[in-house]
Amino acid sequence: MVKRLTPWLLAAPATLLVLAFLILPVGSTLATTFLEPKGWIAPYVTFFNSGVRRTVLYRTIEISVITTVLSVIIGFIAAYVVAHVPGRLKSIMIIAAVFPLLTGVVVRSFAWLILLGKNGILNSALLGLGLISQPLSMLYTEGAVIAAMVYLFVPLMILTLAGVLEGIPKDVLEAATSLGATPFGVFRQVILPLAMPGLIVGAVLVFTGSFTSYATPQLLGGEKQMMMGTLLYQRAMVTFDWVGASTVAAIMVVVTFVIVFLMTRLARRLNPMVA
Amino acid sequence: MTVSLTLDNVSAHYGSTQVLKDLSLSVKAGELVSLLGSSGCGKTTTLRLVAGFLEPSAGSIRLGDRDLTRLPAHQRDIGLVFQNYALFPHLSVRDNVAFGLKQRGVGKAERDAKANAMLERVGLSAFAERMPAALSGGQKQRVALARALVIEPPLLMFDEPLSNLDAKLRVDMRVEIRRLQRANGTTSLYVTHDQEEAFSISDRVAIMNAGRIMQLDTPEVLYQRPANSFVARFVGFENLIEMTVTERNGEMVTATTKAGASLTLSQTVYGAIPDRFILAARPDGLAVRQSGEGIPVTLGIRTYLGRAYQYQCTTSTGDLTGNGPLSELLEPGAQAVLVPVPEQCCILPPEA
Amino acid sequence: MTTKLHPLLIVFAAVIFAILVAPLFIILGAAVSDTSFLTFPPQGFTMRWFTNIFDITAFRTTAITSLQVAVTGTFLALLIGIPAAYAMNRFRIRLPSWLSNVFVLPILVPEIVLGFSLVKSITIGLELPVFATLLIGHTLLVLPYAVRVVGASLASFDFSIEEAAISLGCPPLKTFFTVVLPNIGAGVVAAFILAFITSINDVSTSLFLTGPGVSTLPIQIIAHMEQFFDPTIASVSVLLMILTVGVMAIVEATLGLTFLTK
Ligand SMILES: Nc1ncnc2c1ncn2[C@@H]1O[C@H](COP(=O)(O)OP(=O)(O)OP(=O)(O)O)[C@@H](O)[C@H]1O
Ligand SMILES: [Mg+2]
Repeated sequence: MVKRLTPWLLAAPATLLVLAFLILPVGSTLATTFLEPKGWIAPYVTFFNSGVRRTVLYRTIEISVITTVLSVIIGFIAAYVVAHVPGRLKSIMIIAAVFPLLTGVVVRSFAWLILLGKNGILNSALLGLGLISQPLSMLYTEGAVIAAMVYLFVPLMILTLAGVLEGIPKDVLEAATSLGATPFGVFRQVILPLAMPGLIVGAVLVFTGSFTSYATPQLLGGEKQMMMGTLLYQRAMVTFDWVGASTVAAIMVVVTFVIVFLMTRLARRLNPMVA
Repeated sequence: MTVSLTLDNVSAHYGSTQVLKDLSLSVKAGELVSLLGSSGCGKTTTLRLVAGFLEPSAGSIRLGDRDLTRLPAHQRDIGLVFQNYALFPHLSVRDNVAFGLKQRGVGKAERDAKANAMLERVGLSAFAERMPAALSGGQKQRVALARALVIEPPLLMFDEPLSNLDAKLRVDMRVEIRRLQRANGTTSLYVTHDQEEAFSISDRVAIMNAGRIMQLDTPEVLYQRPANSFVARFVGFENLIEMTVTERNGEMVTATTKAGASLTLSQTVYGAIPDRFILAARPDGLAVRQSGEGIPVTLGIRTYLGRAYQYQCTTSTGDLTGNGPLSELLEPGAQAVLVPVPEQCCILPPEA
Repeated sequence: MTTKLHPLLIVFAAVIFAILVAPLFIILGAAVSDTSFLTFPPQGFTMRWFTNIFDITAFRTTAITSLQVAVTGTFLALLIGIPAAYAMNRFRIRLPSWLSNVFVLPILVPEIVLGFSLVKSITIGLELPVFATLLIGHTLLVLPYAVRVVGASLASFDFSIEEAAISLGCPPLKTFFTVVLPNIGAGVVAAFILAFITSINDVSTSLFLTGPGVSTLPIQIIAHMEQFFDPTIASVSVLLMILTVGVMAIVEATLGLTFLTK
């Protein structure tokens, strides 16, 4: 009897932790928005009727999409180089990607604050070169948020994709070449399709990460470029509008789950290893 | 269509280590030549040079009247069959086979038709829609073969194509490869480290050692008349006895071993015998006798072979192996002589 | 590799990697600047911003809280995560397949939503102390590392070795510690490092889980930044980067940095 229960007993503490402190609380947050006396749709009507909140949602989607596209392109090219350079250079590149990756989001966002500020290095450089006569206000713009966010996610993308690209067997590429494929042909017809599942998974990580981020938009975008994370915080801790905050939370959860569900299905369908 | 492949004094380096040394090799039109040699001797390197994945540091490579030496790999038009098949995992069997045709600008309908016809020939018509992950090893190997053949290349190259298959399949597949190669008359270079496979599939075999070709000949010649002691050892001449001529008497030559044993050999049988030479013999080329003219030995362990007894023998200058008749059971420790059996032995130049 | 890299690709990559590390060096410069505002290149040289950190009590107390939470949370996550990972690999057929999805949830649910839900249901709802909720939040946050990273090494562990030990008379629990654990050591180390780093750097989950007297270092840095924009922040960041370097050295020494590309 005890024997039969062993697997369950071993898995129980972790399962109960997730159940009690994640599934139930998050479930209750979602439930809050549906159990409104005015009807389950009411909090969402309020959300979408508010021009400010609608703008925040659209801005968050826009910034997340741009961040994802840029991170994927930059990360893929850099990863491609990492996968093809000789050992020593490769180690240096990996270190250059791992160091920012392991450094916290606050420190990394702060770096861009110094970079883009009024007295920042970019303004000093542009002034010094005589390209501008007045310091530019680069902080608290959508561009600043996107730049810092791309900076945040590129290392992750590089490391994920370098692993994927290195996993493509060399002889498969040589087979394509021997059959007459040009270097670009090998890239388009073999490397890209084989990296596609990894690319999609990476893109999902970046998109959901951007969509639900807090620190970077807060520090580099401020009030002017408010995103969903900050909106959630404000609704909850500034105006104590629990239902409003829960609605934002619910939208975040739904968007994340839908994207992850659809994209992992797509990635799995594109995965050649599954017969 | 059938052309010859010529490698002329080709050298190859990985970094600063030289892997191939002035290698010259010629495969005649329509011929299948194997590169045979132990691990690390440079077989794959030779293939990669011809395929264009590696540039020679010296020498030239020609296919028919085309100079391949500096041609980009994708323009060489060579069919390659890899050890690990190297199928495109994201393409169906048919699309794998059609890949090369697509690169050549062949239209969809035509390349599918050609791919289907080739799959038919390798017996995989039923698998055209499958993905490679859902094939057995032998099936994958046949797709790889079909993929290389369908572009009708003037040259086919194989790098240990059968080493991942089980013994039975290995024999079936090599017959199949030979059949398809013969039918198309495609000039072929075949790499293996399995002697039986090389000898059974090839018109000629090149035995390689440390980046050099030691001998390139038909299997029969290699087996019976190795040109040097390396090849001799490779094809099973276990006994290599250094000898010096002491007396010449017409066709008859008397020579002694280092230990002083003396043998009389006939140049009618062995051909011209130089003053210093190596007598090479397989165990059945040295007959164990109780007495007579021969190399005196002390008998060691005896093993029963069915058709004869084999004896491990010791002499003051090294160990030898000889066979004795079933009618005569000799005991370990006994004194005996080894007598060369003329048709089974050969004379080699002394080692440098 | 057959295809040689196009020179433009190499230049592009060099620029990318330079941009990846350059901002962090800029922080280093800003931290020693003898000015009361943040600037780069540094003007003058001073270490006073580093000593200033220690004069600000909030940095000291939040750093201690962060370390306590990261170490305890990671330890708790491993303590319950390893048995779960073991059970799911060892008894795969006896546990339902949805169970592994349960341990993906902490990654899937946005961190900020987790923090918000915890403060709503646990701190306010159950009136648990702020520190306890913070610890629960971080344990959940890093649990997936414990389960999945350790699980990955268990997936390649040959359980017949365990059976061999048991057949030789070793009791099951002892077998786990003497035979299984040493073979998944690398996975446990990896899980620990990833979990620790995630926890110590976390903002989104902790955001809601701080209260009077209880806060984490990253939250405190953000709060400080919103009031003062002096080089103190840069010097705190430098200290955090030194921590990162230390972690990288440990990773390199134990697993090799390339493990992070897998
Ligand atoms: N990429 C490389 N870098 C450096 N040395 C290499 C490389 N590839 C092969 N070598 C060396 O070159 C020599 C020849 O290698 P090659 O692969 O041609 O051997 P092979 O005859 O095909 O052996 P095998 O039967 O094991 O496949 C070996 O000593 C090997 O160590
Ligand atoms: Mg080889």
